[in-house]
Amino acid sequence: MQLKRKLSGALSLASCSLLGLPSAQAESKWDIDTALMYYSENDRVSAFEPILSMKKELSDDEFLNLKFTLDSLTGASATGAVPSTQVQTFSTPSGNDTYLVAANETPLDPTFLDTRAQFTLNWDKPLERDLRRNLGFNISREYDFTSLAANASWTWDTNLKNTSYTVGANLELDRIEPVGGAPLPLSSQDPAASPPILRDGDTKQKHIVDILFGLTQIIDRTSLVQFNVSYSLADGYLNDPYKLVSIVDSGVGPNQGEPIDQIYENRPDSRHRTGLFSHYKKQFGDRDIFSISYRWMTDDWGIDSHTIDTSYRWRLDNGYFIQPGFRYYEQSAASFYRYFLLDSDAIPETVTADYRLGEMETYTVGVKFGYSDNRNNSWSIRLERYLQTGESHPDNAIGQLVNQDLYPDVEATIIQFSYSFQW
Amino acid sequence: MASPCEVLVDSVDSGLVHEIVACAATEASRIERKFSRYLDDNLIYQINHSPDQFVDLDPETDRIIAFAFECHTLSEGLFDISSGILQKAWRFDGKHSVPTQQRLDELLPFIGLDRITHVNSRLKLPEGMQIDLGGIGKEYAVDRIVGFLRDRYEPGILINLGGDIAVTGVLQSREHWNVGIEDPNRHQQAASIFNIRRGAIATSGDANRYILHRGKRYGHILNPKTGWPVDDAPRSVTVGADTCTDAGIIATLAMLQGKHAENFLDQQGLRYYCHR
Repeated sequence: MQLKRKLSGALSLASCSLLGLPSAQAESKWDIDTALMYYSENDRVSAFEPILSMKKELSDDEFLNLKFTLDSLTGASATGAVPSTQVQTFSTPSGNDTYLVAANETPLDPTFLDTRAQFTLNWDKPLERDLRRNLGFNISREYDFTSLAANASWTWDTNLKNTSYTVGANLELDRIEPVGGAPLPLSSQDPAASPPILRDGDTKQKHIVDILFGLTQIIDRTSLVQFNVSYSLADGYLNDPYKLVSIVDSGVGPNQGEPIDQIYENRPDSRHRTGLFSHYKKQFGDRDIFSISYRWMTDDWGIDSHTIDTSYRWRLDNGYFIQPGFRYYEQSAASFYRYFLLDSDAIPETVTADYRLGEMETYTVGVKFGYSDNRNNSWSIRLERYLQTGESHPDNAIGQLVNQDLYPDVEATIIQFSYSFQW
Repeated sequence: MASPCEVLVDSVDSGLVHEIVACAATEASRIERKFSRYLDDNLIYQINHSPDQFVDLDPETDRIIAFAFECHTLSEGLFDISSGILQKAWRFDGKHSVPTQQRLDELLPFIGLDRITHVNSRLKLPEGMQIDLGGIGKEYAVDRIVGFLRDRYEPGILINLGGDIAVTGVLQSREHWNVGIEDPNRHQQAASIFNIRRGAIATSGDANRYILHRGKRYGHILNPKTGWPVDDAPRSVTVGADTCTDAGIIATLAMLQGKHAENFLDQQGLRYYCHR
């Protein structure tokens, strides 16, 4: 066999580390990734999120990764209640105060304000020549929510490291402490209602178990394909304690379609989800990278979703690159999703008007521009526009609701600045 | 080291010279004891006699093993510290005959670093496999000795362990060391002279180790993938590099390139002498 490469450079790097001589790889440093993300919905929520991620090679091929995220959310979020031709009065989530929503406007809860702190630790270690293990731990804390999670995954390389199989599991325990206590599901939130609002003061819990099987196959020197199958089971308190469903007047007349009460939503206490993910990545001419992925998810709530995500990274001269991307997402509504309930109908056991469980499509268009030199310094700016749209005028709208926008579009802008370096 | 070793010091201070020689000898014997495959009380013996079990490596052994794996990858499997068991079939004493293909086929499944597990400073060999650091040990010892002496002594020093050479310090009497490369055909005669002021040189060759069989000369450089000596290998290759370890590996790989040895050496951008 004929060796056609120049080996002396790589060889002297290896022998320097053998002999303890100073070389570029003498000591493993921390790879630091920092990012600042700003997310802003038109007239609704805005979020500011600094991220710090630190990675270090502890020994040969053994990595420790620490990540800190801080999320600061402010603004108003849709409650699920329908608009009215009249001014509406709502209780704040604590139940101690009220706020008004102008006529013909989508009710938003203006008290939405939260800060979330998250810490993630990952430890990736080779166990055998072709077997790696990753152990992870995650803690996340916000005002009314605490989440603890632990995960483990094993990756087995075979076929000269061209094929990798991954099996992983994640266990998450969440504790929810709603502001003012969890409301009784399906009870009225009307501050004037009698008897007074019933609160369930207990903290609520939910558990999530995820299992994942993955296959990564290197096709040739420039392309690879990846498939994942995931299964997730959540059980416990899956409600959003702040979301409402309007009960509207069904009687024919001038008040038809006007909300006469708002009740707290109620969701099933378990959710099984199954997902398939496939990803294809190809490098062109040693410079550009094309990536496309498709994700399908289905659950026993009746939500089926499809995501297509694609990007193309152009390498420009002098270490700069530009990467346009596009993402499309669609989901069907949960079987218990209603835009509103009629006062003539019995209240179903489970019901939600949370727009996140409704039928929707979202489009994200973005571009990332950045620079990286050969010494692990890099920065990038990402700019994205996001549009979420659904059925604003469903067929079952009656009376005044015919003229209201029952599923307003959400538009958002995302700006992220990232900087990476070695330390 | 089973070969002549020498220490040359450019100094008239005999106390200093003795001190330097003692340093070199101490380190050379330490490394030989630690990594020799012929001793039964060292870690290499333990590794070779613990089939299918992980053996914990000390940091130095761990670095050497990691380096051997790196060389195996860089050379696309041609440099392989597990190929020593081929010596069960080949005896390069000029007398024994060439083994049968069947004999080699029995051995080949037990060669190949990709069958050995090296993770987390531990090593595990499958049953029937062995490692031999002979292809690195001498060069490593030279580099270690020179590395130690470099920081402590000013005069020019040349370390020669069986033809693997490195120099350090400042020469008083002349500009550089003149190292003669032995002519493989004429013992004790120089075929070429290498001038070195710093760095190292190493030689790989079949000068005294070969089999003559039916008029064909079989050199002792074996291809670990076929089990056969490399066809059309040079008689010897000498390479100059920053470290003796680098020089030794490149020289060995050049031998394994057979008739392409000079092409390979030209690509490396290092000084060399190739004797055919």
